[in-house]
Amino acid sequence: MSFPTLLELDDIRMNFGAIEALKGVSFKVGRGEVVALLGDNGAGKSTLVKIISGGLRASAGRMVFDGEERFFPTPAEAKAQGIETVYQDLSLCTNVDVVGNFFMGREIVKKWLGFIPVLQEKEMEEVVAQALQNAGTRIPSLRTNVEHLSGGQRQAIELNRFAHWGGKLVLLDEPFAALGVEQTRRGLDLIKRIAAQGIGVIIITHIMQQAFQVADRIVVIRQGRAVGDVPTRETSPDQVVGMITGEALAGQAQETRPNGPPPN
Amino acid sequence: MTSPRQRATVEFILDHLVWFMLAVVLIAFSIFVPNFFQIGIFANIIEASTFVGVMAIGLAIVIIAGHMDLSVESVAALSAMITGILFCSHGIGIGLTLTPEWLVVPVSLLISLAVGAVIGWLNGFFVIKLKMNAFIVTLASYIWVRGLVVAISGGRSAQDLDPDLRFIGIQQVLYIPLMAWIAILCFVVFSFIMSRTPFGRHITLIGGNAVAAFRAGIKVDRLMFISFILAGAIAGLAGWLLAIRTSGATANLGTGMLFNAFAAVVIGGVSLKGGVGKLPGVYAGVLLLSSIHTAINLMGLPAHYTQVILGLLVLAAVLLDTLKLQIRQRFA
Repeated sequence: MSFPTLLELDDIRMNFGAIEALKGVSFKVGRGEVVALLGDNGAGKSTLVKIISGGLRASAGRMVFDGEERFFPTPAEAKAQGIETVYQDLSLCTNVDVVGNFFMGREIVKKWLGFIPVLQEKEMEEVVAQALQNAGTRIPSLRTNVEHLSGGQRQAIELNRFAHWGGKLVLLDEPFAALGVEQTRRGLDLIKRIAAQGIGVIIITHIMQQAFQVADRIVVIRQGRAVGDVPTRETSPDQVVGMITGEALAGQAQETRPNGPPPN
Repeated sequence: MTSPRQRATVEFILDHLVWFMLAVVLIAFSIFVPNFFQIGIFANIIEASTFVGVMAIGLAIVIIAGHMDLSVESVAALSAMITGILFCSHGIGIGLTLTPEWLVVPVSLLISLAVGAVIGWLNGFFVIKLKMNAFIVTLASYIWVRGLVVAISGGRSAQDLDPDLRFIGIQQVLYIPLMAWIAILCFVVFSFIMSRTPFGRHITLIGGNAVAAFRAGIKVDRLMFISFILAGAIAGLAGWLLAIRTSGATANLGTGMLFNAFAAVVIGGVSLKGGVGKLPGVYAGVLLLSSIHTAINLMGLPAHYTQVILGLLVLAAVLLDTLKLQIRQRFA
């Protein structure tokens, strides 16, 4: 499968004082592609994600997003351009219903008498119902407060909201840490459907099985370097574990460095 | 398992619990308290709800936004005292007159609102710009603003308010005093603002999760600031009404109203954690409190008991809040 490039990282380096957290990481994420970012604790995954989403400024390197070379100075700027890290619960107001959360900060209003802005609840509800239906997400009542919904349903609301408002690249940091087996399965399905809408997805996970279920490509970070970048179809869990721990198969990883998989 | 319909019914009852309580209390009093069931008594209950009711609106908005404003009572006293000093002809009043004479109504109202807004702005400044704790900041305002009232009045009172203003305090429409209608109008307007406009929605979102609201691009600080200013201005309005009702102002005017307003807000279903509560419920809370006051008076109990009952009622309200949560969880 071929994905038009959405994000390109080129030789990203990050120093914290004398410590080199990232020693030149390069990889690409395409539109509609799901990339699983794997690596041991402290490998530099979180640092990398923060650099992409504007939380940290890289010490050196180049990032091309949506055809333009740039780093984002703040998470707000990244968000405005369509990159967002979706955290469970952090971005929802549980005291408000699904519609209220979906339209948070972008409510549809109509001016009464030319100056009194009034919320158009019906219209908003229809839009949300349509968006959730398109994404294949089922939530019993859109007027239920989010506090009564399960973790999986909350995640679905966040991801659908992101997709609906023109998000281009979503970063998911351990998205299923708090979810059960069935919810995780639905979450993985949801990610595939989100990607199918042309959104790039970077998912950080420790669970190999999840990466193989959902990702189109697996990128392994080890001690600040991208030591592996392989299409999921062409690798195996054992191979990936090898890359994570750095035991064997270095040759395979070398082959595909530094700029992603061989041309499609 | 419960059906969605059952659950919706339970939710509805829980959401409007204070109204059911009010109905039960009114029916019980009508049956058991001699002379309670008269139109005059009901009109009296509504009238007695005016000042605490208006004050409670601003308080509720700030609490829904996730903060606290203890200064509303003192702010009301200050704007009442300033109205009194400017437009009273006796005591410490300087008896200002305007031409045409009716101009005194909008001018005094604007002054009252402005006085409240200024104190509200100060509260907002300390809480939002200087990141101080709202409880402490507004507690300080509660103390110093009342101190200011005592200081500018020298402990004396202003009497005999301008007759054009007093007119508002005497008028009745449909058995109910005009002032009570003003309070009801305030509740209608602010209920609308809180439930149907982006401002109200955003305040509720902020009270629920300020970080999420901020991430969604809502101007959290600005809206918080506005809610403090609003609470101040509304308290100023309450003070203006108080001055008109008492035809002047004394240094201790309105003492104790804060706790009544607080009780009404909590009984009305506003959670002190923020993000939860509706203004019509707060009005029901105020009506419930003044019904109980009135019943106690009619039964001839010593007035001191009112406060004991009030305290117990607040406890009951908080207990109820906890129970509601448990019931909801069972049905969720």
